[in-house]
Amino acid sequence: MIFNEEQSMLQDTVRAFVQEHAPVADLRAVRADVNGPSYNLELWNQLVELGLPAVALPEQDGGLGFGYMGLLAVLLETGKTVMASPLVSSVAAATSLIQLAGTDDQKSLWLPRLTSGEITATVAVQEGRHYSLSAMQTQLVGGEIKGSKSMVMDLAEADLLIVIAKTAEGKLAAAVLESSKADFDAQRYCLMDGRKYSDLTFTQTSVAPGNILGEGADRTAEIEQALNIATIATAAEMVGGAESLIERTVQHLNDREQFDVKLATFQALQHRCAEMYCQLELVKSAVFSAFARLDRGKDIHKAASQVKALANDYYQHISNEAVQMHGGMGVTDELDVGLYLKRSRVCNQLFGDAAYHRERYAKALGV
Amino acid sequence: MSDLNTFREETRAWLLEHCPESQRQPIVKSEQIWGGRNRKFPSADAQSWFEAMSDRGWTAPTWPTAYGGGGLSAEEAKILQQEMARLGCRPALYEIGIWMFGPALLAFGTEEQKLEHIPKIVRGEIRWAQGYSEPSAGSDLASLKTKAEDYGDHFLVNGTKIWTTNAQLADWIFCLVRTNPDAPKQQGISFLLIDMRTEGVSVSPIELISGESEFCQTFFDNVKVPKENLVGELNKGWDVAKELLKHERAMMSSMESMSEKEEFSLVDLAKQTLGVDAEDALNNAEVRTKIAALDMEMQAFAQLNERMFYQHKAKQSDPRLPLLLKHIGTKQLQRKDELLLEILGNKSLSWESPASSHTEHTVTRNWAFDKAHTIAGGTSEIQLNIIAKRALGMAS
Repeated sequence: MIFNEEQSMLQDTVRAFVQEHAPVADLRAVRADVNGPSYNLELWNQLVELGLPAVALPEQDGGLGFGYMGLLAVLLETGKTVMASPLVSSVAAATSLIQLAGTDDQKSLWLPRLTSGEITATVAVQEGRHYSLSAMQTQLVGGEIKGSKSMVMDLAEADLLIVIAKTAEGKLAAAVLESSKADFDAQRYCLMDGRKYSDLTFTQTSVAPGNILGEGADRTAEIEQALNIATIATAAEMVGGAESLIERTVQHLNDREQFDVKLATFQALQHRCAEMYCQLELVKSAVFSAFARLDRGKDIHKAASQVKALANDYYQHISNEAVQMHGGMGVTDELDVGLYLKRSRVCNQLFGDAAYHRERYAKALGV
Repeated sequence: MSDLNTFREETRAWLLEHCPESQRQPIVKSEQIWGGRNRKFPSADAQSWFEAMSDRGWTAPTWPTAYGGGGLSAEEAKILQQEMARLGCRPALYEIGIWMFGPALLAFGTEEQKLEHIPKIVRGEIRWAQGYSEPSAGSDLASLKTKAEDYGDHFLVNGTKIWTTNAQLADWIFCLVRTNPDAPKQQGISFLLIDMRTEGVSVSPIELISGESEFCQTFFDNVKVPKENLVGELNKGWDVAKELLKHERAMMSSMESMSEKEEFSLVDLAKQTLGVDAEDALNNAEVRTKIAALDMEMQAFAQLNERMFYQHKAKQSDPRLPLLLKHIGTKQLQRKDELLLEILGNKSLSWESPASSHTEHTVTRNWAFDKAHTIAGGTSEIQLNIIAKRALGMAS
């Protein structure tokens, strides 16, 4: 439930790096370069040098053994400056998929290159407007993928693309494609968070048996688990963002004077900030609990839905309040607060919105 | 095996030996054991369970053994709590002295005061009441007027205290009294212990919207209180009060787990009342969503408490987090009450009639009673003020 000494030191290191080298201005540069990469490649290479792609995995899989709690320490910090990076797409989602669902051969083929940062990977899972595993229609039958995917993160930079699809038996399967060679249509676009996403169409994309994780064995549970990891990783980044927003807002209210007093002295504003802070610590506790469960090998199906629904609702609320409390400046593009507001809405749609996760949680609860 | 594992094994074995089967059933209010000169045990089993626990000092597990406490570390106390929960053991003693007053006396009392009062709390011999609020001093507690005048060997106390929980059953009351009327508000207050049997003390119960009368108004009319009953320094009672308030707020935030009242599972009650479809999902989709939304927030609150526990254990406590507990816990409790009422529909509207069941009446009365939680012990508005100033550093 709390960081150990190594994880705390890692958090300090990443915090220092992010605050110095990856301020919000870096995201603005990524956003301005409409045809450029989805994240600053040079910054990413520096994170690779810190060993971040290997942070969560155990040593026998080429990881650094910080555990997923180590990844949490990283994501809380990158979330604070809404830093664009493939930490969710490649490190949390794709790497976990291969580690959990891959055969030994598949793991030894791909994991060392992923953990060393030599390559990155991304995952195509969502379809249509809303993320829903149960409504997924893309098929992987007879060695061919048919269907379409939406909102795929960081595709242009990724060496590998892992497509989640349903088998003829209705099980989940994950196919690993070399994104530059595989045959599919991709439409790339920018979203309001300044990052690039892609919609994909697979008409008859063939996949070699060796590229299907588990090589024929049913990997539904492992795939769901990897997606749960991606879900809580997204939430962790959101918590970092929400924390930074509260700091920025309180700072503004302590600085700004109207009617000859600091805005922070108004009780109406104090109470709203206090409520935001309660929400922050609640969802942060839930996120710590989910990552701790993960490292202890416990099931996180229900925890993932709890964490993501809370992160969605709270970050949305906190970002709205932050804009309002910054007054006129809050609605200018010049102020960074607007970037958090937009990032919150994009994160809402990644790996399931609040309605999806409340419904999923209700099922797990038995109602 | 680590020491803690050994402790867990031994504790479990001890509990199995000493906690009778009848004391491992969910507690009902009429069988709660409260301390006091006139304490009564509902059964022989209840008495033997209480005595086993108090003999070990486990009614106050972390208090020093020198004063009759259990002398356990925080980790051991948590294990005891976990093992009691696992076996379904009832709390051995309900007592304000355990929850609030004892910790403050341990921090501020003299050796004589601790030796005099703490063992009696642990053994449930004395029941304590709290005398803080006054009719004209609620959230602005420091404006209290009950005065204690110095008469050499004793104080003479005059005034009245309100919301004195169960004062009609209490043996002693700890009070905040004004000892210096000329000093700024908080600097003229002292912390005084008063035996309820003293001449001039009288109590009258107050009926609440829940129909209960646990709260009282207590009157002090020329009450003589010996000087040795002053806790902490003269005019420094506010420091003691602040220490005590911390424990009160922590206690109120965990009201639900104290199982002071009969509690009902939202999921079970909703299924029984509203019915389920072929897939065992609740028929009413909106209630289903509300249950999920509330349950995940209540889980997060439990996880916040757990995170604080691990921080404490690692000596890395974040001082901001305890400030949040009372507001969040009481608000969630009230949301749960409202949802239960919504689920029960018009069967939740009866006060006492054959039209509604015991469960329905209890849900309704809890709902009304729990309105007090966001008022007592510092209103939610005061809590939010404190969070804004002390946790967030907002200018005042």
